[in-house]
Amino acid sequence: MQQKGGDGLFKNNSSKKITLFKKNISAWMIMLPSILLFAFFVWAPLFENIRLSLYDAQGIRTIKFVGFENYIRVFSHPSFWPAFRNTFYYIFWSLLLGFWIPIIIASLITETLYFKGLFRVGVYFPNILPGLASVMLWGFFFRPGKTGVLNILLDKIGIEPFTWLTTPGWTIPLIVLTLTWKAAGSTALIYMAAISNINQDLYEAATIDGASPFKRFLHIMLPSILSLGKTLLILQIIAVFQILYEPLVMTNGGPNNASISIMQLVYKYAFQDYNYPMAAALSVLICIVLVALTLLYFKVTKNVDDAN
Amino acid sequence: MFYNRYRKKTEGVIRFFDLSSPITKIVTVLIFVACIIMLLISIFPAIWVFLASFKDIAEFRKSATILPSDFDFSKYTKTWNELKFTRYYINSFISVTGSVVCAIIFNGLLAYVLGVLKPKGHKIVFTLVMWSLLIPPTTSIVALYVNINKIGLNQSFLPLWLAMGANAFWVVLFKQYFESLPKEYIEAARLDGCNDFQIFLKIIMPLSKPIIAVVTIFAVTAAWSDFLLPFLVLAGTDKETVMVRLFEFRTASKSTDVDVLRAIAFSIIPPTIVFALFQKQITKGIGAGGIKG
Repeated sequence: MQQKGGDGLFKNNSSKKITLFKKNISAWMIMLPSILLFAFFVWAPLFENIRLSLYDAQGIRTIKFVGFENYIRVFSHPSFWPAFRNTFYYIFWSLLLGFWIPIIIASLITETLYFKGLFRVGVYFPNILPGLASVMLWGFFFRPGKTGVLNILLDKIGIEPFTWLTTPGWTIPLIVLTLTWKAAGSTALIYMAAISNINQDLYEAATIDGASPFKRFLHIMLPSILSLGKTLLILQIIAVFQILYEPLVMTNGGPNNASISIMQLVYKYAFQDYNYPMAAALSVLICIVLVALTLLYFKVTKNVDDAN
Repeated sequence: MFYNRYRKKTEGVIRFFDLSSPITKIVTVLIFVACIIMLLISIFPAIWVFLASFKDIAEFRKSATILPSDFDFSKYTKTWNELKFTRYYINSFISVTGSVVCAIIFNGLLAYVLGVLKPKGHKIVFTLVMWSLLIPPTTSIVALYVNINKIGLNQSFLPLWLAMGANAFWVVLFKQYFESLPKEYIEAARLDGCNDFQIFLKIIMPLSKPIIAVVTIFAVTAAWSDFLLPFLVLAGTDKETVMVRLFEFRTASKSTDVDVLRAIAFSIIPPTIVFALFQKQITKGIGAGGIKG
């Protein structure tokens, strides 16, 4: 009996193995084109960047291996340190504005009962505008002099025209504000979905304990938003490192490198100076920083969870 | 009357009984006003573009007003013809169509294999795809541009279309949806003699219309708005898209401000129409995608 059963199992196994093998082959064939696309558009550029950064090149043709020379050139480039420093300013302002504004939007829209659908759609609207178009659009708003749109509006309430983007200290916050204007609505919708998933009993229990609406917000709603916000935060920092066309179009990195971003420097090396190896070297550096940040982030959030 | 609706409020922190306090009453009104202000800030810039592009250049330079002196549509058609926008629209249309097809087929197939078929080794592929989420696409633009040139795909729509077929985020969206489909349908189709590919075409795709709609909308907006890769690949050819043309205003000296404004207006009309038609699916898709992804 046992013997027979074992035999049957064995037979089944070998025929299963063949069908399993066939199944695997057909599945792999189906996803092969997609994997090739990922390889060409996502994974290969990563390695090509590393290779390119170690060579001297004429145009796109690599000439000779030079080791880390391109990296040294990047570090000694006069625009590198301003761009490096600006990255921290960009991060600071996007944590201040870009992180909190969507939370405020989501909380406010949740608490209103009239035109809620319109508000949701309205705040999301800037998201569907092409990034380039919205950046060029805000360029007109921030124009110094009396024809700048914001200056027209300021004039209506009797305030003198302001110089906006041409004031060094204001450039980065204003660029971040433009970015936030465009992206906040979509983040807010994600938060609102999370808010509507909060268990209603929590509010009830808090109310019975005598918690005011503000306290309920502080102790129930905000924590649930923030637990989701943790994951969005790292995505935001990754996005900040990629800021490119906002300063490129709005200020061209100026005034006097006050807003040049690190990606913009990559763009400048590659497509203005045609120095692809230097651009690749800087890309590699950015990639390393981002992967390090991500790993650090995973570790930190894991520790927080463990402590809880 | 304003407060009556709060009787039925179940979301958020303020409840009807809180309104017995006058401060809460005032706060709810203030919140409503704040929402109106947020709405205005969100949509005003786009409205302004259309208002301002009715001005001619003299009026634009001199007058410090929001409203134009008249609404003359012939100015629009003049700029449209002078900048030859019909051609850019057609090019953008070609680029968007191909991108959407690639986005659905290639990301969909990969997600189908990773989420449903799960052959040996699928976990490795999935891990690689998830790691791709962390690779910032702009940092690879230089190497990608070099590679595209090496295999001679520049000055063609092909790299732009195919690039949309390798989007880790859309793979995740598809995969989550496919995994939620009832397994019985797939088993039944297999018993009827369908092969893996036929199951994808005849069973999975027809059942997945909602997620296809979401990815389509994402792909349309992404392909329409993308300009860096299109600029690098297509600039100087007769295949330039609307965004490439817009980007070239940066360096063009001949163009006037009102031309730029009208070009911006042309570039935001199609996405606005798409959004107006599909805003429900779009806002829902964001919420659902965010929670799961």
